[in-house]
Amino acid sequence: MGAKDLEILDRIASEFNMRGQVRRKGRIWLDTPAEGFVDFCRWLKEQGFEHLSAISAIDWPAEGTYGLAYHLWSYLDNTLITLKVNIDRQNPVMDSVTGIWDGSARAHEREIHELFGIKFEGNDDLTPLFLEDWEGLPPFRKDFNWREYVGEKYYDRDNERERVYYG
Amino acid sequence: MTGIMSVSESTTVDQLRPVGEDSAYDFYFGPAHPGSGNFGTKLKIAGEVVTSARADPGYLHRGFEKLMEYRLPIQNSVLSDRICVLEALNWNLIHAEAVEELMEIEPPERAKYIRVIVAELSRIQSHFIWFGAFSISTGFETGFKLALAYRDYILDLFEMITGGRVYPAGYICPGGVRRDFPAGATKKIAHVLDQIGRMVRIEEIEQPALPARTKGVGVLSLDDAIRLGATGPVLRGSGLKTDVRKDDPYEVYDRFDFEVPTREEGDAYARYLVGVEEIRQSERIIRQALQQLPEGEVIAPKFKRIKLATKIPEGDVYVRNEVARGEAGVYMVSDGGDKPYRVKIRGPSFLHMIPVLEHLLTGAQIADVPAIYWSLNVCPADLDR
Repeated sequence: MGAKDLEILDRIASEFNMRGQVRRKGRIWLDTPAEGFVDFCRWLKEQGFEHLSAISAIDWPAEGTYGLAYHLWSYLDNTLITLKVNIDRQNPVMDSVTGIWDGSARAHEREIHELFGIKFEGNDDLTPLFLEDWEGLPPFRKDFNWREYVGEKYYDRDNERERVYYG
Repeated sequence: MTGIMSVSESTTVDQLRPVGEDSAYDFYFGPAHPGSGNFGTKLKIAGEVVTSARADPGYLHRGFEKLMEYRLPIQNSVLSDRICVLEALNWNLIHAEAVEELMEIEPPERAKYIRVIVAELSRIQSHFIWFGAFSISTGFETGFKLALAYRDYILDLFEMITGGRVYPAGYICPGGVRRDFPAGATKKIAHVLDQIGRMVRIEEIEQPALPARTKGVGVLSLDDAIRLGATGPVLRGSGLKTDVRKDDPYEVYDRFDFEVPTREEGDAYARYLVGVEEIRQSERIIRQALQQLPEGEVIAPKFKRIKLATKIPEGDVYVRNEVARGEAGVYMVSDGGDKPYRVKIRGPSFLHMIPVLEHLLTGAQIADVPAIYWSLNVCPADLDR
């Protein structure tokens, strides 16, 4: 376990009263509240976390939440920090971090908006990337069953060979 | 088309250009352009200059992240081949690492070395394709043919080791690799490395077309590179010395002696030079790995016989690797079932082909569009997933 990682944890704890966890060298995990998230991110960027590696969304329908995981990399300390935020599934709105990581954040948020239906307030460009004229549920949500969808939409019932897959 | 004058000998280019709002044209580079891959860019042009560029991805969206939620890790390792056609083994590797970290399984030493060797061979053949596509898009067709011909030596190795030339069908699987090197493999790999050296020398010969078409073209400053999320050779071409293999080592990369090449210029030619040097460094890594290659098992006992209902412990993990195009990432979440609850795949081309490409194309000449596009070593497949 890196001394550097623990030092970063202490810095966060003293500034923001949040206690993260170092899982292995160069891997910090931190549960973060949605309030004040953007300010926290801005502070982290000033500490060297300049690279927004990815944003992942996880659908938890039983809990009624969406999980968001922000993976940030510091070229200065060679450390990855993952911030985990939970937001309401009924009204999935999150503050955008485009003011901090600009082009990178804009693209990541676009993708999540399209595939999970999460709205990012402050992101001026949430046009879909992958799907053309899609009107159904956001397809990466757990309650969207692609097998059912493909069966309804593409099963050619006259073609006997397709029964192997859909029948 | 209003405003076009009749053409006579005294007509200048400016007079030919329509006036008013019509002076901007829509210009589509791809998705059916032979030089674009399955990816489109919607350009607006005025005269010869691109005034705005808009990436148009989605032609290869197969929804792997969702598909993986319905399958066992051992099936997903086969799926992971397809994330990027051009470097299937590197994606095999990162998927396997994510599952191993969740299950707290350590692959045997020999498997780690074999993984490094095949992943670096995969990086080299991917860089050959990069050189080939970059050459043909700048009018140097011989380069394309040479690169693909030399790449075939590596594909022969893949066929011998994994059984597949392009798709290894999950050769690198959770727990290790599917099978050991066949007899004589190390000797053959060493022989192919000599051939690779010949190809690198060909790439290094300063033939006039390539520098003339790419020097000073598509300049990406370091600030912009970081702001737009560039990684890998694109970022190193802009001057930042960073490589996941060095800064965040995985497998046994910390045991090898290799350099991380960088250039300061940030133009298309600089990125190309970084790519050429990376092939040399990969060659160095493979030679060292062959020398140190230990004997022993190649797969962890738990995965030797595939049990279908193996549970993945609850938890989540984020793995990073350096693939040929830059930083790859896999975020895997398990709820304790036998299939991953959620898999997020981060392909390097996602940011290279949307924000970086749009930034570089704006203000460029139409004739430079293919050169800029291919200098980013793009792969629409790992963008769309």
